[in-house]
Amino acid sequence: MNTATCRVGLVFFPAFDWAISPDHPEREERLLYTRDQIAEEGLLDISGIEEYRPLIAADADIERAHVCVPTVNSVATQSHRIAAGGTMLAADLVLQGRADRTFALLRPPGHHAMRIVHGSRGFCNINNEAIMVEHIRSAYGADKRIAIVDTDAHHADGTQDIFYNDPGVLHISLHQDGRTLYPGTGSIDERGGPAAYGLTVNIPLPPGTGDPGMLYVMEHLVMPILHDWQPHLIVNAAGQDNHYTDPLTNMNFTAQGYARLTEMLAPDIVVLEGGYSIEGALPYVNLGILLALAGLDYSAVREPDWRPDSATQPQAVTDAIARTVTALQGLWATRREADLEAIFGAGQFFQRRRDIYYDTDNIMERQSEQIRLCNTCSGWRSIRSEALHAFSGRAVRIGAVIIPRRACRQCRLDAQGEFEQLSALWRAGRLNLTCLQDIEADS
Amino acid sequence: MTSLPVLGIDVGGTNTDAALIIDGEVVGIAKVRTDPGSLIHSTAAAFAEALRSAGHVSSPLELHLSTTLSTNAIVEGRGDPTLALAVPGPGMRIEDLGLGFSAWQAGGAIDHRGRETAPLDVESVRDALKSAADSGIVALAVAGKFSHRNPAHELQIEQAALEGYPQFASITLGHRMSGRANFPRRLATAYLNARIQRRQSEFVKMLEQLMLSEHRVAQAFLLKADGGTMRLSESMHRPIESILSGPAASTMGALALAADPGVNAAVIDIGGTTTDISVLVSGDPVFDRHGAVIAGHATLVPALFARSIGLGGDSEVRCDQSGVRIGPCSAGTPAALGGNAVTPTDAAAALGLAQIGSRTRAIRALADFAGPIGLSPMAAAERIVSAFAAQLAAEVEAVYTSLESAPVYTVSEMLTSPNIRPVRLIGLGAPAPVFVPRAAALMGLPFELLPFHAAANAIGAAASRPTTSITLHADTALGILTIPEAGYRAQLPSRPDFGLRQARAEALTWAERAARSLGADADAAHDVSIVEEESFNVVRGFHTVGRIFSIKAQVRPKARRVDEA
Repeated sequence: MNTATCRVGLVFFPAFDWAISPDHPEREERLLYTRDQIAEEGLLDISGIEEYRPLIAADADIERAHVCVPTVNSVATQSHRIAAGGTMLAADLVLQGRADRTFALLRPPGHHAMRIVHGSRGFCNINNEAIMVEHIRSAYGADKRIAIVDTDAHHADGTQDIFYNDPGVLHISLHQDGRTLYPGTGSIDERGGPAAYGLTVNIPLPPGTGDPGMLYVMEHLVMPILHDWQPHLIVNAAGQDNHYTDPLTNMNFTAQGYARLTEMLAPDIVVLEGGYSIEGALPYVNLGILLALAGLDYSAVREPDWRPDSATQPQAVTDAIARTVTALQGLWATRREADLEAIFGAGQFFQRRRDIYYDTDNIMERQSEQIRLCNTCSGWRSIRSEALHAFSGRAVRIGAVIIPRRACRQCRLDAQGEFEQLSALWRAGRLNLTCLQDIEADS
Repeated sequence: MTSLPVLGIDVGGTNTDAALIIDGEVVGIAKVRTDPGSLIHSTAAAFAEALRSAGHVSSPLELHLSTTLSTNAIVEGRGDPTLALAVPGPGMRIEDLGLGFSAWQAGGAIDHRGRETAPLDVESVRDALKSAADSGIVALAVAGKFSHRNPAHELQIEQAALEGYPQFASITLGHRMSGRANFPRRLATAYLNARIQRRQSEFVKMLEQLMLSEHRVAQAFLLKADGGTMRLSESMHRPIESILSGPAASTMGALALAADPGVNAAVIDIGGTTTDISVLVSGDPVFDRHGAVIAGHATLVPALFARSIGLGGDSEVRCDQSGVRIGPCSAGTPAALGGNAVTPTDAAAALGLAQIGSRTRAIRALADFAGPIGLSPMAAAERIVSAFAAQLAAEVEAVYTSLESAPVYTVSEMLTSPNIRPVRLIGLGAPAPVFVPRAAALMGLPFELLPFHAAANAIGAAASRPTTSITLHADTALGILTIPEAGYRAQLPSRPDFGLRQARAEALTWAERAARSLGADADAAHDVSIVEEESFNVVRGFHTVGRIFSIKAQVRPKARRVDEA
């Protein structure tokens, strides 16, 4: 039996008895052929590749990353808890030295789930990577600097939202340009909140981007940024819908491209996100990723319908990518020189209003948020959110106050004060729910 | 249920045990030294000795034989030079599989649904066959990736060999060996099977000549790694299934002899150098999830789960800061029996827990061992016995922890894991009476020591029955039903009507048919059950276009009850 050069922990959970609905892309069948491929290749007989049974995430684990409305159980099924728990286990295996690298190859995905969760959007209810990151910082040290590189074709708007103002997390999202694909966000000028400006890096890629374009971005932008920022851990949110056979997107990556990306990035933890070409792409992409993680030869991994021109991209696409990379290189290099007052205002608070649509559950959320501009910590936050559930006609109003990790004393006090005001509104019946999220205190 | 007397023989590495059972009672047992040069002679000697000890037996016999023939051949690397012909398709490079033998690679590919995605390179196949035949190779093993979903390429290769190269006396096709996924294991299984096939045939013929005529043997069966039997004639086609039958025979012995065999229990077979731990859940032996591993070869041979640990009566005893440690190496002969090193057997002899050899010699060896660490010989003996029990209890616990953490792929299995925890320990093997009660006390469990424990393996061989399993894969979107082990692949008759109910019925019918062909009587063949089942909707473009069913049906190993005469 062969031996992997890197010990890989595989947390595989295909949820063979769970679907959003019978004909939905996120259904029982999604990882069936991936399972068949992994089993048939005999990958688990390779010494150094070990399969693990996931854990089940508890309320406390989920509530470190989310405000679930009205309760965790109302938005997360057991399947979601297992996917989140499996992702947490993938981190545990690495941080406890039981594996060099891990792959949480599981569903349902999570990267469109934002901090406030009223329901499901983009097939996601709770955010697996975010729950894992908060688990890592609670269990293994709040000072862990974590980089998330999201290579799903859709902008990771949920993960971005959760860590937007978090100086401990670098969030890089490569995706098909939001002007051409759900969820529409992810332009290069979304760069993070006042306490983490520049640590949100969006790399929109034109439709038709193939392996050469993606690898160009990796080599000239992602890897230099990571080298510069020096994270303790690199997480790859590995959506597989950039594949040339994916039915929901317009990209041209191949299994070879994904494997090479994995080899270059050398992530500590890989977490599956989207990818709905369940026969033409997933078995081969997942195999390629696993072999690359284990340091094994992936050169013979090929899709059955692969042709030499499968990953080609037009010159116009190549040129557009080069321009984006140049622009982002500049933004990264000068991120500390940015005039934050000009961007976030000179007052005590930065405020923003957003409309968030939950396509899967047909919910319209109107959100207003204010972040305290604090010189000593990343600043407490207050979020007011009103969700209109289109199916039921029900409207839910909530208010949440968030005390970030390493909050200063003043911000803690102010956040308490804000929470008391929200509680008064709740008593007066003007809010359905109030919530004080103190991430460090786990409450 | 057969009414013939059954003679079970287990040819082990050191001893050959035999047990004759008539109407559920042990009427004769025998133990002879195994002659490593001739398993046939060892078998014949045990046979005669068992009959002698039973007195006069006039009626015809049924013979159940467990041998190390195939195990030894593989472990010692013997067998015929074999051409391994692989159709690996895309994926992992075959050079990276660490097979331990070389394989000729032919172009061609089948995908996970069993669709041909690249045609077989017939030219390359002919080249391989020719060059192997020219160099005198007569054994051929063929395996393709996903051949369990579509064996077309393997069958094409077989055809090419039969037509062009009749010198290939033994041909093994991977898909016929198992319907489970795992291409490297399928290739290794086919390779090992082809390699030992001629040797097995010779053994079977010799056995038939030597014994069947002489001793009125009406039917002869060979023990398999899954605790079941197969007809002697069938073993010529699938000799690989007879590997590792010894440990399986012990587990079946425990089932046959245990006072209450229907419960969850850990079976602990303590020998001189190793202890084998196997697991019963509601009386059914637990299977290895993947298949037997032998001499570094991972195979798809169905096998009972057994964890073998280096802990036995003759194990080495050491003392360090953390206390007394036993094993995993053997110290050789215990001092009580004339050896030099102190062993757990000596500790038991010194304490009067077992009557073995010279107690005086045991105590003297213990004194040499205990002196430097400032203990009396008896105190040291107590510590050794306690350490053995503690290590054993820890290993049993580890077995259950690992079985319970086996991956599952559904939410319902995550939420409701079946309870497999033991309610008792069942001990067999000569040192068991000393150590199993102590390990059970540490675990807070009752224990049971088997009667006839020294011949439990032979009794297990006698008590077992034919087993088989088949894998049905039906893909109604493609309109194809495959049962690889049976070599069956057909269009689904009426696609819209074919549901889970039909798939189950089909699987049970085929399993029953397979069991009969292996020699099962009507009772056993009827006792088929579905042990694994999956069903998926195949959705394309937001419409359900068909369903995929995957069903494993099995005649499980079962032991006839055996009582003390």
